[in-house]
Amino acid sequence: MANSAAVFDNKKLSKSTPKTPAEIASIAVYWLMRAAVVFNVVMLFFPGSNPARITGMIHKNMSLFSCGVSYDSIVANFGRAFRQEWVQESTFKSLNVCALFIIVSVVIAAAGGCMSLGNNKLKKTGLVFSAVAGIMETAMIFWLKGLYNQVVDQAYASDKIDKVEPMFQNISYIYMAMGIVYIVCAIVNFFLVPKAAADEKMEMDPKYQLFLMMLPVIALAFVFSYLPLYGWRYAFYDYKSGQDLTADNFVGFKWFTELFKNQATKKDIVNVLKNTLAMSGLGIATSWIPMAFAVFLSEIKNTRFRRFVQTFTTIPNFISWVIVYALALAIFSTDGFINTMINSMLDEGATKATTNYLMSNEHMWLKMLAWGLWKGTGWSAIIYIAAISGIDQGLYEAATVDGAGRFAKMWYITIPELIPTFCVLLLMSIANILSNGMDQYYVFSNAMNRENIQVLDLYVYNLGIGNGLIPMSTVVGMVKSIISVILLFGANSVSKAVRGESIV
Amino acid sequence: MKENVLGSVSDKKKNKIQLTTGDIIFNIINYAFFAIFTISCIFPFYYIFINTISATEYVNRGAITLIPKGLTISNYVSMGNVDAIWSSVFITFVRTFLGTALMVFASSIAGYLVTKKEMWGRKFWYRFLVITMYFNAGLIPWYLNMAMLGLTDTFAAYIIPGIVSPYNIILVKTYVESIPGEIEESAFMDGASYWTIYRKIIWPLSKPILATIAIFGAVGHWNSFQDSLILNANTPELFTLQHRLYIYLNQSSNLGAMVASGTSSSDSTVLANMANTKVIQYTISMVTIIPILCVYPFMQRYFEKGLMLGAVKG
Repeated sequence: MANSAAVFDNKKLSKSTPKTPAEIASIAVYWLMRAAVVFNVVMLFFPGSNPARITGMIHKNMSLFSCGVSYDSIVANFGRAFRQEWVQESTFKSLNVCALFIIVSVVIAAAGGCMSLGNNKLKKTGLVFSAVAGIMETAMIFWLKGLYNQVVDQAYASDKIDKVEPMFQNISYIYMAMGIVYIVCAIVNFFLVPKAAADEKMEMDPKYQLFLMMLPVIALAFVFSYLPLYGWRYAFYDYKSGQDLTADNFVGFKWFTELFKNQATKKDIVNVLKNTLAMSGLGIATSWIPMAFAVFLSEIKNTRFRRFVQTFTTIPNFISWVIVYALALAIFSTDGFINTMINSMLDEGATKATTNYLMSNEHMWLKMLAWGLWKGTGWSAIIYIAAISGIDQGLYEAATVDGAGRFAKMWYITIPELIPTFCVLLLMSIANILSNGMDQYYVFSNAMNRENIQVLDLYVYNLGIGNGLIPMSTVVGMVKSIISVILLFGANSVSKAVRGESIV
Repeated sequence: MKENVLGSVSDKKKNKIQLTTGDIIFNIINYAFFAIFTISCIFPFYYIFINTISATEYVNRGAITLIPKGLTISNYVSMGNVDAIWSSVFITFVRTFLGTALMVFASSIAGYLVTKKEMWGRKFWYRFLVITMYFNAGLIPWYLNMAMLGLTDTFAAYIIPGIVSPYNIILVKTYVESIPGEIEESAFMDGASYWTIYRKIIWPLSKPILATIAIFGAVGHWNSFQDSLILNANTPELFTLQHRLYIYLNQSSNLGAMVASGTSSSDSTVLANMANTKVIQYTISMVTIIPILCVYPFMQRYFEKGLMLGAVKG
């Protein structure tokens, strides 16, 4: 099909021949069509743009896509409505099929849009796809209107119009407009795109082939990494779960000022920041430990012992924080190992030791640090161990000849070789100073220690998911994200200035 | 003994390593430190394990400290009768396999594609992916987004968001770049399409890196807890094993409460018969740990490689 020579030819061709007005027009029409397709695909997944929501009984979180693929979720609230025959089940089965057909038509339109990137032969075929998709989509909206009328009739017949709440979404007209755009574009370009030679095969420029192969990955990244940014709008509304965002509850920067004005919140934030910075700070202050671990481990000459240590100190890194908590319970809780051990040494009849070490609020920061070190040291040391094994042995031999002792060799040879790696990791941890993650603190938190364990990530969770204060927690998360990015760029420019290399 | 047999060789060695008193002290301290640290890493697992295989009466009396007593597998057998655990194990296994397979496939194909200079907007799309590693909207907007997409209280919530992993894409990209370009070029000359080249050349040759990301991905899926906690909080039948374990750890002082939180009535009898809540916790902990310990030896081969590649930036 395509080879690198063809790429070269295509580039040359497109540059050397000037475009005719017809070609330019056809390109413009195609861009309009592709934009419409992308818009249409996005609309499929938004609950706010669901033309199939023809009654208020269909949940407003349903997108057209979920209406098309799941009949059960359309009629989730319809138990009584069907039993008492406010509406007919058959109408909603049809609605499900109708939604599915709209999805199919958008898929066909998308295929047509992709084919428009090919050669003339492929373009011509693509136009057929676009036209079919346009006709289908327009027809489906008419059917939808018919279904809506049916629901209205049924609701009037059963006199439950207020319960059924029939509604015809304005968004349907946009879908119809899309369908018409496809049809018009297809017809226009049918005349503009030159006729393909009889023996021409369907082909596509490699650059677009590659792009189309990449497209699903790009789409997923967009949906799960960029689309959440759209949720930042909640920071500007007085939103409570289940409500809509309307002009009425738009509050501007209220939540941002609240952050500093409201005494209770301010106290919380100060406390949370104190915990966050203290625990991150302790983490940074002890970030030399994995390096020291690696240096001293490499001093052990018995390979089997070294291997053994390395194997077993790495295991904790691969278990979840929930399991770490389970282990902590087994060792430190009321009937855990430590108390059992103490009791087994006590005399008969003596007061039993029943301290629950996990419930106390003392030295929380140090305890969390200790768990972090227990879990992470062995793993973090691996990168240093690998670096040590790459150090030129000649350096050590030369140092030995010069009479350097063990510690002198460590200090003047090993450590300087490891410092670059250490600096990169240190800068990264400074950039991540606000992101301690939530799992560790979530599993270890309880009523007693909450005050000293709540870090920023956990606070956002507790505020937003726990207490349902969506706008406030969005604001906190937003500020955190922005500061984190600034810190990252800061760390990166420090690295560039000092080492001449970027870390991101 | 050995020294005598080896004769001159060992004499030489002996001459070379002249241990001073300082060296000996250093070695003792060094060995002792690493021995203690290693034991502290292993012991909690061992302690949980011996409790689960000991008879409940000994556990109740607090007689189990360092060695198991009254060996029995009855705890595991009883655990097998708790339906809630089985559903969690099933959910977790399926998500681990499916999620990892899709992630590996997407990473390998995307990692290959971003090495192709002729792609339309390659640099832009590559940066588009990489930026997502360093910036995120935050937990709540992420949750609202998932809710908006209708992914809350669904199994798909475990799989789909994890398919595209920029970090793994970079790892694959770096690896593919190290494959000699001539192999690909000769295939091009023979008229192979990109897809054929990917399938016949890139996929087989990049298997080592794919194994690495698969292992890390699988461990991540097995250990993930947040998505179950936040997205599927209202559907106990979709709880992952980690989430279930967390619930049991926090509620097992009150079996009734635990039963109310989604276990069926037959489960409650089984759990009541196990009597000791501690043992329930320990047994389900073991169930959660064992798969990780089983794959760990295989992982070890790969993770050093993975970590080193991670240090090489894209």
